[in-house]
Amino acid sequence: MPTSLKQRLLLLSLSTVLVVWLAASLFTYFDAREEFEELLDAHLAQSASLLVVQSSHDLDEIETDHAPLLHKYSRRVAFQVWDEERVLRLHSANAPTQLLATQEQGYSNSVIDGKRWRVFGTLNESGNNLIQVAERTEMREELAENIAGNLLKPLLFSLPLLALLLWIAVSRSLQPLIKLTAEIGRREPENLLALGTTSAPAEVQPLIERLNQLFTRIDTSMQKERRFTADAAHELRTPLGGIKAQAQVALASVNDEQRCHALDNVIAGCDRTTRLIEQLLTLARIDNLSDDLTEACPLKSIAAEVIAQIAPMALKQDVRLELTAENGRVVSGNPLLLRIFLRNLIDNAVRHTPSGTRVKVEIGDINGQTRLSVTDSGPGITDAELSRVAERFYRPVGTTAIGSGLGLSIVKRIAEIHHAALDIKPSIEGTGLTVSITFK
Amino acid sequence: MRILVVEDDALLGDAIQAGLKLAGYAVDWMKDGVSADQALLTEPYAAAVLDLGLPRLSGLEVLRRLRNRHHVLPVLLLTARDTVEDRIKGLDAGADDYLVKPFDMGELSARLRALIRRSSGKPAASLCSADVELDPATHQVRHKGVHVELPAREFAVLHALMLNAGRVLSRAQIEEQLYSWGAEIESNAVEVHIHHLRKKLFPGLIETIRGVGYLIPD
Repeated sequence: MPTSLKQRLLLLSLSTVLVVWLAASLFTYFDAREEFEELLDAHLAQSASLLVVQSSHDLDEIETDHAPLLHKYSRRVAFQVWDEERVLRLHSANAPTQLLATQEQGYSNSVIDGKRWRVFGTLNESGNNLIQVAERTEMREELAENIAGNLLKPLLFSLPLLALLLWIAVSRSLQPLIKLTAEIGRREPENLLALGTTSAPAEVQPLIERLNQLFTRIDTSMQKERRFTADAAHELRTPLGGIKAQAQVALASVNDEQRCHALDNVIAGCDRTTRLIEQLLTLARIDNLSDDLTEACPLKSIAAEVIAQIAPMALKQDVRLELTAENGRVVSGNPLLLRIFLRNLIDNAVRHTPSGTRVKVEIGDINGQTRLSVTDSGPGITDAELSRVAERFYRPVGTTAIGSGLGLSIVKRIAEIHHAALDIKPSIEGTGLTVSITFK
Repeated sequence: MRILVVEDDALLGDAIQAGLKLAGYAVDWMKDGVSADQALLTEPYAAAVLDLGLPRLSGLEVLRRLRNRHHVLPVLLLTARDTVEDRIKGLDAGADDYLVKPFDMGELSARLRALIRRSSGKPAASLCSADVELDPATHQVRHKGVHVELPAREFAVLHALMLNAGRVLSRAQIEEQLYSWGAEIESNAVEVHIHHLRKKLFPGLIETIRGVGYLIPD
């Protein structure tokens, strides 16, 4: 099968026409031949009856002789008249001298001297003369072949004409597709405007609509990427500015205490920038992640593992980590992402909670759904800030802890990927913040 | 010279404060827009360094409010956004200059000096009164071409008086230029500094207007 739609359509329609035409011709040929055999047989019978009438009166006067040829086909029609002693009394010029058929009466086929005959025999009224009329079978076949030839001849001429017309029709019908191809081919890569659907035929419209949907999706994802890159670049400028300024202060400082302070700040700035970059990378990675959420994630062991990692840092800040978990809480998701999720949440809580307080991690169930929450004892945030806190790079006023403002964005994105509900609200006891995720 | 620094980033704000102090300025550091706005309302500053992305009140809004009060204070914007539109927006809102982060501390001080010079109507890099020449960039003072060593506070008093040559500055005005907000002011510090300056340079340089303040004649 050719890959070109045009060639395929043309080939299919032409071969269909050919097959149908041939079948029709074949049927007509056999049907016509049958009718025509009957007609010729009737003619034989009629000729025989004429001879019967003739022979009953004139046979005595007629010498053994043969009749003249009167038509081009008559050469192939032969007759014989035999008397009661089966002596050949009369016969046509082309008739043999022996009996045309051994079966004296009725229709039969015979071969004499390599020639095939269709024979009809009958007795005259007195029953003593036998009359046999025969026709050469070749003649009949020749006639049938002529008929078949006449049936097929128009096909021979019309098939190329049909092919030409079909080619033109198919080309014209495919014009919208060719136009669409050219239009897309001419496009600049950044041109993601929707294609017009009004002039397109109904069959092409769904394709255009799907293409337009794809364009929209690509556009959204490209804008997201662009905004993210711009945001990331700008967010890096401030800590870099801090590092550079601190380093210059260290260079210009007049006493050791000032210089050490500035250099400590340079190191802190580098740590912070590193963390910011790590989080940017995490965010970029999970932004483009396909949602493969089929793995079974035992929440308790994941939480225990993450808490074990953060515990040394928490101890340094005199913050106690507590895990309350029901056994066997398993959600299907991506364990790697859930680990990042928990690390960000717990890390965030530890950074914002004052020394000597606790950060609680709880895994339980609410209305039959698995819920994981992290509660700190920090200062909490205002209602106005609550709605903005998960925005990228947002850091509430008076934030003293060193952070990038990206942690909650990462948490939010991971919750989205898991189709889980993220809830940030003041904790029930005390001043802190509770961040919880409820798996559906 | 007293400068207001408004920057919410702890590291950068700390560095600017330290750097400007090293350059001989008194520095007030505010970490959000609202406290910056209040400080600008009540305190006399020679210039302000203003970050654009501030919590509670954006840098642009602080600037707009300042200009709506017809305040001509030189303002240098700090911005992490370096598109032309951002710069145009900042300058149109009334900023005198801007720097894109990360920047050079030396450049920040130089730009501030230029801004302060221009706003005082003395565009020359160094100030001259009688036989005294003061270079704000190098912190050097020459009397009849001879270098005179001055401590930071004395230099600042001389700088303030020379910037405002021909105008009387009250003791309070000089003090405000010397100390950042919350710093403890010694009761007769200004008199002591003036006394030293007269001794190190020449007695007739600074005139006392009794009950009003001090001036260096134009």
